Amino acid sequence: MVAFLAAVPLLLVLSLLLGPSGIGIPDLQTPSGNAILSLRFSRLLMGLMTGAALSASGVVFQALLRNPLAEPYVLGVSGGAGLGATISILAGASLALPFSLPVIAFVSAVLTLILVYAIASQGTGGQPSVYSLILAGVIVSAICSSIIMFLVSSASVEGLHNVIWWMLGSLQPASSSQQLAASLLVSIGLIGSWVLSRPLNALVLGRDMAHYQGINARLIIVLGLLLATLLAATAVSLSGMIGFVGLIVPHVVRASFGPDHRKLIPLSALGGGVFLVMCDALARTLIAPVEIPVGVVTALAGGPFFLIILQKRMKQAWIS
Amino acid sequence: MAGEALTFRDVTAGYSHRRVLDGVSFAVREGEFVSLIGPNGSGKSTLLKTAAALVKPVAGSVELFGQDVCTLRPSLRASLLGVVPQKLDAPMAFSVAEIVMNGRVGSMGLLGRLSPHDHDLVERAMIYTDVLDLRNRYFGELSGGEQQRVALAMVLAQEPRIIMLDESISHLDINHRNEVLQILLNLNREQQLTIVLVSHDLTLSASVSDRLLLMYEGRLAADGAPHEVLRPDLLGRVYDCELQVRLDPFTGSLQVTGNLEGRKMSGSPAIRTHVVAGGGSGIELYRRLVLEGFGVTTGVLNQLDSDAEAARALSIPAVLEQPFSAVGQEAADKARGMVAEADALIITHVPFGSGNLVNLQIADEALRQGLRVFIARGLEDRDYTEYKAASRLAADMTARGALSWQTMHELIMKLQQQQPT
Repeated sequence: MVAFLAAVPLLLVLSLLLGPSGIGIPDLQTPSGNAILSLRFSRLLMGLMTGAALSASGVVFQALLRNPLAEPYVLGVSGGAGLGATISILAGASLALPFSLPVIAFVSAVLTLILVYAIASQGTGGQPSVYSLILAGVIVSAICSSIIMFLVSSASVEGLHNVIWWMLGSLQPASSSQQLAASLLVSIGLIGSWVLSRPLNALVLGRDMAHYQGINARLIIVLGLLLATLLAATAVSLSGMIGFVGLIVPHVVRASFGPDHRKLIPLSALGGGVFLVMCDALARTLIAPVEIPVGVVTALAGGPFFLIILQKRMKQAWIS
Repeated sequence: MAGEALTFRDVTAGYSHRRVLDGVSFAVREGEFVSLIGPNGSGKSTLLKTAAALVKPVAGSVELFGQDVCTLRPSLRASLLGVVPQKLDAPMAFSVAEIVMNGRVGSMGLLGRLSPHDHDLVERAMIYTDVLDLRNRYFGELSGGEQQRVALAMVLAQEPRIIMLDESISHLDINHRNEVLQILLNLNREQQLTIVLVSHDLTLSASVSDRLLLMYEGRLAADGAPHEVLRPDLLGRVYDCELQVRLDPFTGSLQVTGNLEGRKMSGSPAIRTHVVAGGGSGIELYRRLVLEGFGVTTGVLNQLDSDAEAARALSIPAVLEQPFSAVGQEAADKARGMVAEADALIITHVPFGSGNLVNLQIADEALRQGLRVFIARGLEDRDYTEYKAASRLAADMTARGALSWQTMHELIMKLQQQQPT
């Protein structure tokens, strides 16, 4: 763990030195050099926030559902948030207030989650199984994507530019007030999830067992779902649809540092943030001046790397 | 002297679609070791969940040390009552120490840091259950017996005054089972911990418990010392099979055993029966009669009826009529021929309508000729004939000596008791 923590600042500094304009510290004497550094710094913050939010959200979903496949995408949360964000961008509402985009994304994500839950509960007369939740989530997610596609294809040219820009899933800095709003929401999500870490540990043993141990299981589950949805929705509203981070970073961190959520939540947030920052550094330098969408890099570069780690430590990742 | 630890007052409880407990009342005193026994589906697990407020009663109340369990704060409830599950399932790679630590989660605030006192309790629980050496191992890699001791340690770390175990030890090897039982007995004697063991193993329950609670179809069928509850007639009725109870000559404890030798599996049947069934009412009975060594014929059934399929599968001779048709003259005469060969005629819980009323009339003719006839109770509720013809005929038959039956066990006892002369 010490090695990991020591590597974090080095990696972050490295990402500040990488850019399409060249490698190294830009000349701070010139206005353009200053602008480049501040742009890179801004992207670093975007990457940290988005990556941290996505992977912490994945950790919480995986604990609540006790399932290694759970993550914001699978449950339809990202899809719902994306649909809300698309509508608000196309309607021009996103620019009204710094909070409006993430809040609309959050509300539509929560509505989607409720819809997924309702579909999965059909005919069970109570609690849906994890499998029906995931199945319903995948279906609702697909429907949301289709609606987004439809909206985009029928949008006016003017709105199109904004929404495509956002949808590509890049870390192009949002306005500073939007960044501030997002950082506030991500902080609430991260701290809130971390406060729940002990009950989350208990919930991994099952809802009934957590109840027997004196936890208000229903309350914790609802709070956890809301916090994880807030994190995912904020990430989506900030940087569009970036996959892979929410699913795989929690697994690698769990395999490396154990499943105790008191460590897992902060370390996953940090790991997810740094991972996304690194991916973004690659995305903007690999074939500069062309920028690759960061979502492409997360899976292409991150996939093999994480697979190797998981192969070695599969047993610690998830025993079932 | 000792107060009541767990009290059920006329509790009715269940799930949204199904009522499982029906007016259950009992009290467990502090320091008692009680076993909850009963067949599958009798409501044992639901009773346990109701005691832990996981299932809320529809009527009646459940009290822990005099306080209504449904209004207790979760953390306070956890400090009074701990539950050891059938099997603790930890899908992530938690270490043993991390698992046991969960026992303290209820008594911490949300920002829970463990105090030295908490760490003491966790360590003590691990020492008591002999899992301290395992504390850095992964829980998922342990053997079943070790996992069950870890689960017990976790529950002990809660410091509850009652521990309920849900079939937690029946599936373990005998050595592991005895280890866990010994820990429970020590806790019970040394620390006056109240223990409620939900168990399938009647012999084991009898040997460790002060008292047995016998559940049957959502009600309490018996409540008393092992020798008061483990009576062959009572157990036979509840478990619907023949059981023997005897004293073990070495340990002096009660032993409950089934009676497999008593069944005649081959040779010519001592008693030949003819079964009037239909609509699936005969499937279980056919199987049971064949297993118990009775000769079985059946009819008249409609083709494609599930009873007809079951009879075919068990090679039971059957008289069949066309699907969904009323019983005709030809089939009825064939059935009469079968009945003439039988020593007894059994009418299952089959509904009667105009189509199969003739089956009952055949039974009536047989009764008049001196055959023993057994009619399942409650025929009037299954009577769809005009003017309740079937009910009136059955009542008439009963008046002339037809016997009634309810459970298969009861039926088979009656069949065997009255050997034909």
